[in-house]
Amino acid sequence: MTDITTGAPAGRARGGSASLKGAGLLALGIAAALAAGFGLGGDPFLLNLAGYTCGFAIFALSVNVMLGGLGEVPLGHCMFYGIGAYAPAMAMNHAGLPYEAGVAIGMVVAALIAAPIGWLTLHLTGAYFSIVSWGLSGVAMVTALNLDVTGGPLGLFGFSRLAVGPFDLSRPQTYFFVAAAILLAVLVVLYHVRGSRFGRAMEAIRQGPHLARSLGIDVFRERLKALVLSAPIAALAGALSLPYTQIVTPEVMSVLRTVDALLAALIGGVGLIFGPAVGAVIFTILPQFLDLDPNVKVLVFSLLIILVMVAAPGGLHQLWKAAAARLSHARKGDAP
Amino acid sequence: MTGWAVEAAGVEKRYGGVTALKGVDLRIPEGAIHGLIGPNGAGKSTLFDILCGITKPSGGRVSVLGMDVAALPAHHVARRGVGRTFQRTATFRDSTVRENLLFASYGRMRHSVLQRMARAPAWREDMAAFETRADAVLETCGLAHLSDQPAAALAYGTQRRLAVAVMLMNDPKILFLDEPVAGMNDAETAEFIALVRDIARGRTIVIVEHDMAAIGALCSEVLVMVDGAQVVSDTPERALAHPDVVAAYLGTDADD
Repeated sequence: MTDITTGAPAGRARGGSASLKGAGLLALGIAAALAAGFGLGGDPFLLNLAGYTCGFAIFALSVNVMLGGLGEVPLGHCMFYGIGAYAPAMAMNHAGLPYEAGVAIGMVVAALIAAPIGWLTLHLTGAYFSIVSWGLSGVAMVTALNLDVTGGPLGLFGFSRLAVGPFDLSRPQTYFFVAAAILLAVLVVLYHVRGSRFGRAMEAIRQGPHLARSLGIDVFRERLKALVLSAPIAALAGALSLPYTQIVTPEVMSVLRTVDALLAALIGGVGLIFGPAVGAVIFTILPQFLDLDPNVKVLVFSLLIILVMVAAPGGLHQLWKAAAARLSHARKGDAP
Repeated sequence: MTGWAVEAAGVEKRYGGVTALKGVDLRIPEGAIHGLIGPNGAGKSTLFDILCGITKPSGGRVSVLGMDVAALPAHHVARRGVGRTFQRTATFRDSTVRENLLFASYGRMRHSVLQRMARAPAWREDMAAFETRADAVLETCGLAHLSDQPAAALAYGTQRRLAVAVMLMNDPKILFLDEPVAGMNDAETAEFIALVRDIARGRTIVIVEHDMAAIGALCSEVLVMVDGAQVVSDTPERALAHPDVVAAYLGTDADD
């Protein structure tokens, strides 16, 4: 039709260096996990905490599909985390099913529930979406509080065997390695999601929903897909908390859990694939080493968030980037 | 097809008690560059949004490329060959020029997340087709050397060309430009006029614009709207000389 469709040489190998970088980061992640797993000196408490942190990192990644991906604040995301924690607990305690089956059920249920919830709420944006999603998670929490199958206010505990195949999650080191492996797998999946047609549609919608629509992107449908993708990831995270907590109570669906994940994502950087995971590590490990009281922790992290938002609104990695840029400028001799 | 890219008859739009469009008729032949002018508040933007399927009319018939755009969601209208730029320049500001074009290629790509993970042929074909097309579009719009620049860092006139490039990725059969040269300096305007002429081959272009020099240089015909109704539809010279148009722009009771 026009001369635009013809001419120009065939595509050059652009994806190459990006995938190499991705593979490098993955190798770094594996190395870090191995170092942590063997380096924590076999301290069972720290290893358990590290395993739990991997689960929390997965939740932060799930939350960030909505936050960094769509620009929405999914306050009610704790509901999917809760579903993921309750499902294996109920499957083991009531149906005698193995842990893995419960995890799978939780992920499927989370996705199935996310679809109608998204259909109802994703026509809303901004604060409206956040508040309605928060309200729905409150409904879920009250439901868990009042049902017998969820154990009411006492919750569910006394699980039979927490294991993934041959890997016994009651062994702290195994728990950590399994959780770390799953975390890395989630990172790989999300990395490819971002580079796919769907991931680009999400980014286009985040930056300009009207322009995205004018390019033929079904804004509502892509937003719905994002929620349905992130819900089972949150459920997976919830399930991975069981070996650490050994109990599920309605508290698991507290909005504070979402807020923690949002803070982790903001600290680590919402624009980076692994940002929320790094943030989650900082968010969990730092107070542990500094031996912070939970109340003081809230204060410290509130201050940290304010500092991050002022100095590096894209997350802590911005500081690193800025420092690197300044260094390379200095080397070229044209420092500002 | 009928030979008409746009056929609209008796288009009305009411917002509560306010009537923004009072029965507008408009026919644009395929391949034409058509202007849409009138003072602020004349209903140009409302008509524009109706033609792109973003706003639904309260009455009348609207057919664009043979589609009943009033009955289709906006993204369907876009997928079937209707492109538009926005009055407030809309690009993906956090991304580079090339990434902007990548987002715009959504409709031309087919690969799934799994195919991307496996680097399957579907993904490779999508990306190769994208590179070819992006290179050609960047060349046409004079953006080739800016490919890796962040969109937000571009000069104003360049951002407007990027907005056009983004739309060209979908090779629209009809392209609506909402005040494309507003705020441009003379050199940028001249450059933009040349670009529009270049991309007009093989497609229909509709321009809302206040810059009459640009309208005169580009359009074969203009529709003049005042207060939600059409006043005249003619060549730019004759339309602008029409007494009702003069009155609308300079005020009624002009005692010369």
